[in-house]
Amino acid sequence: MSVLPTGGTGSEVLVPHWLASPERLQLATAVRAALGDPAVHPVAVIHLQDVLTELHVAAARDAVWPASAARVRLATGWDADVLPVRLSAAELTAVLALCPLPDGLRGRLHGDGA
Amino acid sequence: MTAFGRGGAAGLLQRLRPTRIDVADLLDVAQVVLPLLAGRQLRVELLRRTAAGSVLVVEEEERTLRVALADLADDMTRAGVAPTPEAMTAALRSWVAHRPVTDASAAADGIAVLDWADAARSAVGWRVVVRRGDATQPWAPLPGTAAGQVDHTRSAATARAGEVELTLRVEGPVALWSYPAMPVLATTALAAPGRMLDRVAGAGLPVEDVHVVVTPHRPVACAGRSVAARLAGETPEASVTLPWDELSALPWL
Repeated sequence: MSVLPTGGTGSEVLVPHWLASPERLQLATAVRAALGDPAVHPVAVIHLQDVLTELHVAAARDAVWPASAARVRLATGWDADVLPVRLSAAELTAVLALCPLPDGLRGRLHGDGA
Repeated sequence: MTAFGRGGAAGLLQRLRPTRIDVADLLDVAQVVLPLLAGRQLRVELLRRTAAGSVLVVEEEERTLRVALADLADDMTRAGVAPTPEAMTAALRSWVAHRPVTDASAAADGIAVLDWADAARSAVGWRVVVRRGDATQPWAPLPGTAAGQVDHTRSAATARAGEVELTLRVEGPVALWSYPAMPVLATTALAAPGRMLDRVAGAGLPVEDVHVVVTPHRPVACAGRSVAARLAGETPEASVTLPWDELSALPWL
């Protein structure tokens, strides 16, 4: 539960993708590479910038409320550096369409298991 | 965590199938432990009354706490305290450490923090707490306390909160304030909002439309409005998000 300021964002559905620290670094690198391409559409640029923001926010979320992700890691046996990176459909589409991702990470973002 | 602390509990099995704390055993422990807990201003003693049972009295300046030893034994049983002298000793020590905070202590050492304002955890307000050992205890003014005295204690606690040295971590567009040794003190960052903003700016973060995300007893996050909403909107944990300039208008609890 959260009390949000009136009119705040948050109505969009964000889906968690559980990524280990090296995968989050790969994702950030790939997003920055895409952002360096002047041909990328301005709307997609916004989505990609939001992905970079989310990578930071995911870490901040875990620092403030570590219990939620810890429970999932305990249940799944995932390593301590695995965090949920929560992306909207538009953000995920921009990442998959425009970013040079390693195959493993691309599969993970497609939802091919954790 | 109960007023009897964690040290006295004997684990899950004890909590699920608690063994009864016998009041006679607790009396034996109390007679040894209580004299060690008394201080210059703190009176901790047993009133032995054969017919009605013993009463434990904790008295410190204007604050008095009285509880029948039999009731305390029942409470310890419910809290899962193990029926051993060691566990009962720890529970008694913890119970005394949870005694009410006196006006003098709050005035001299109080620190302003944010705490939940309601049981539903939908709002926060300021509260004066006092460090006691490795925890803090809240102060509540007694009915009839002069308003000027209450205001003075709260103002001093707010100033003291501004002096707490917090850990600042910058995670992209988010500033995180924490006090790992005593998490309840993390929200002292917000007692001096101007100083907080200066440090956010000093860390290279934008200070336009800064919002804070508050979950009492957890690190405090500061970020722009949309980032703060993204942070708080995607967790099942209770939190309150508000603009920094509303912090000083939050009510006292």
